[in-house]
Amino acid sequence: MSPRASAAAADPTSTRSRHAKRPSPADPSTSALTGVGHLLRLILRLDRVRLPLWLVGLGGTIVASALAVPPLYDTPEKVAGYSRAVGASPVNYLMSGRQAGLDTLGGIVANEISQVAQLGICLMVMFLVVRHTRAEEESGRAELVRSTVVGRHAATLAGLVYGVAAALLLATITTLSMLAAGLAVNGSVTYGAGLALLGVVYTAVTLVAVQVSTSARGALGLAGAAVAVGYLVRGVGAMEDNALVWASPFGWSQRMDAFGHERWWPAVLLLAATALLLGLAGWLTASRDFGGGLLDTRPGHERAGRLLHTPFGLVARVQRGLVIGWAIGLVLLGLLYGAVIPTIPDLIASNPDMADIVGGSADAEDALVDAFLAYIFVFMAVISCGFVVTSVLRLRTEEETGRAETVLATPVSRTTWLAATAVVTTLAITTLTVLMGLGLAVGYAVGAGEWDQVLPQVAGQMSYLPGALVLGAFALALHGLLPRATGLAWAAVALVALQVMLGQLLDLPDAVQALSPYWHLAAVPVDDFDVVPFVLLLVVAAALGAAGLWGYRRRDAVSG
Amino acid sequence: MAVIELRDIVKTFGATHALDHLDLVVEEGEVHGFLGPNGAGKSTTIRVLLGLLRTDSGSALMLGGDPWHDAARLHRRLAYVPGDVSLWPGLTGGEVIDVLARMRGGLDESRRADMVERFELDPSKKSRTYSKGNRQKVALVAALASRADLYLLDEPTSGLDPLMEAEFQKAVLELKGEGATVLLSSHILAEAEALSDRISIIRAGRVVQSGTLSELRHLTRTTVIAETDRPATAIAALPGVHEVELRGERVTFDVDSDHLEGTVSALAALGVRSLAAHPPTLEELFLRQYGDEVRA
Repeated sequence: MSPRASAAAADPTSTRSRHAKRPSPADPSTSALTGVGHLLRLILRLDRVRLPLWLVGLGGTIVASALAVPPLYDTPEKVAGYSRAVGASPVNYLMSGRQAGLDTLGGIVANEISQVAQLGICLMVMFLVVRHTRAEEESGRAELVRSTVVGRHAATLAGLVYGVAAALLLATITTLSMLAAGLAVNGSVTYGAGLALLGVVYTAVTLVAVQVSTSARGALGLAGAAVAVGYLVRGVGAMEDNALVWASPFGWSQRMDAFGHERWWPAVLLLAATALLLGLAGWLTASRDFGGGLLDTRPGHERAGRLLHTPFGLVARVQRGLVIGWAIGLVLLGLLYGAVIPTIPDLIASNPDMADIVGGSADAEDALVDAFLAYIFVFMAVISCGFVVTSVLRLRTEEETGRAETVLATPVSRTTWLAATAVVTTLAITTLTVLMGLGLAVGYAVGAGEWDQVLPQVAGQMSYLPGALVLGAFALALHGLLPRATGLAWAAVALVALQVMLGQLLDLPDAVQALSPYWHLAAVPVDDFDVVPFVLLLVVAAALGAAGLWGYRRRDAVSG
Repeated sequence: MAVIELRDIVKTFGATHALDHLDLVVEEGEVHGFLGPNGAGKSTTIRVLLGLLRTDSGSALMLGGDPWHDAARLHRRLAYVPGDVSLWPGLTGGEVIDVLARMRGGLDESRRADMVERFELDPSKKSRTYSKGNRQKVALVAALASRADLYLLDEPTSGLDPLMEAEFQKAVLELKGEGATVLLSSHILAEAEALSDRISIIRAGRVVQSGTLSELRHLTRTTVIAETDRPATAIAALPGVHEVELRGERVTFDVDSDHLEGTVSALAALGVRSLAAHPPTLEELFLRQYGDEVRA
């Protein structure tokens, strides 16, 4: 489908009408889509490492998970046991939705991988598409490209083809891994198709986001928010077992009911949404200036305020938008998760099977709520690692763009410059952790009608803080010691997420799990707070940070 | 025949009037200097021509087509060099040249080799390692190595050293010899003077002067600094002489270019011990010629 919203139709007042009578040299081979092939070749050349990394990283996780399930559930009793346990787990509904066929191996595999596969495919297409659309436009490189024989909609179409291709590749890997695990063909193909279409929808969402925002970061923020909303809406809908699942592409994809009674009509919803979004993206492209968007930048202050008089203030100012954006996202996430916790006892009461497993007692309910809380705490903490790494690696961006050079040409020392970022990041993640704990606690208090859990829940969230600090310090160490390899910080985030979400299923060796700080921390509130790993991790973070500073003071500045 | 014909173009960004009823005509086969101070609207005009910006009103014609609606088709016959070049950090300069040329529809291999050599560009280095001047050279080679009917050059020599600037001027004259049309934007008067058949001067989004160099001669003044044996008191009375400052034997004044000859003769009669002359910068020119008018 081409975003062929005609520029001519959208703009009756343009200069074109005056020249309409002028005979234009006939050249039917040039259209708004000309140059797509060239752009795709360029994209593949630029991403010859990046795309395989995404596919190997995400695909490898999916393959390993799919192959790990059959040996674990090798008897019908074990399969039935899984089905009962998951059927009683509101956390599972919230995180992975209601997967069909949970009484089959296929359903178990799908349920186990869906969180990583669904969120992963959305994030993958989002990052890949923004990188080759708005980021290029923002950098000015797209201007060079557009001065050649490249049509107005070519970049959008190239982004679409690339996103769809990446989604199809990942979905194919998923289906093949399911087949390799010996699962039913129909279910494996249906699951893969649902996954691919989810990626396609979010490719289209991203293509709209890059028209709306004038910056690549803004576009990532918008598209990321759309992913989060879709995921959360599906989760709440699945947990409460209501129609809300039908308000989310995640729900449509899952309700193709792979490994249950497969059905293909929800795919139509996914395709229709894609078509609508692409039409919107095409219309927006045709009606905006190059470099422009819907969200225009406003004029700012003429003079620097007091805050900007120190390196610390400069870093804080530069990262203000980043911190505010994350704060809003994490508080909303906390509120939502907090609000659904008090519904757990009702869920159990309404479901006799669940009550059988959990036991009807108040203690059992409390234990379930605690398990839920422990998972939510660590899950949100892992998400907040994304902020920490982004925040620290701004150092890298500042250096590559030469802005750090400008600062270091003043009497500001390298130590001060690095410390400014370290302090800003540390203060910000501490604040963010309090805020997301507070969000969770307030959501819970409103839902439950009792406010006595606010402090313990904020404290509970805080008990996971050292994890993010270690990852941030690791990024800082990379920046100081291996500036060309700062991408490893993201690999570390991926590893930590893997350990938290799939560590048990994959039966990762302890030596690997031990690389994740969250493996060491006490699972508050299921377990009591343990001060030893908490302090030790803070020491590790401090050591990594010091190593980064040591390296940064000694190495060459990397420019350009 | 006009290759570029902009009539009464208005382009606003919010409250800012970037182009304010701008007219610009560039004839086929000429090198057209497009002069103006920073922020006058030079780049905005070029981006309109590239079909990157949509005009609010006015009529635009380039290479016989509409720059906005026929953008991709027209770009087959056009090459562009931006003033601020951004390249893909992971690609080498040589790769960037090929990528852009391929998108434009091919390049002239011999000319590519020739330009790479003349601009002393190392095409095997990654773009992230290039200096500003070298990034500029990549964009220049990419544009000059393809055969186009129209070259849009937006401050193309920013960051180049004087040797490379001379090489650039030679290359532009060669293009002109082949019959190509060049729109050369600059804020350096001397550069435009050296290359241009005609010049348009833009100020605050409007073309305020347009014509051949000799037609604009009245705009160009020369600043003269001389030491003479006898005090040059009589100079101030000569036609075309402005801003005279006399300090003992040393005199500083500006003279209109068409009165240069008579003034120099008068100076010679006073016994010249030293003489320095330089053309005014564009900014100086504007301050003098249009400063009040624009502020009013």
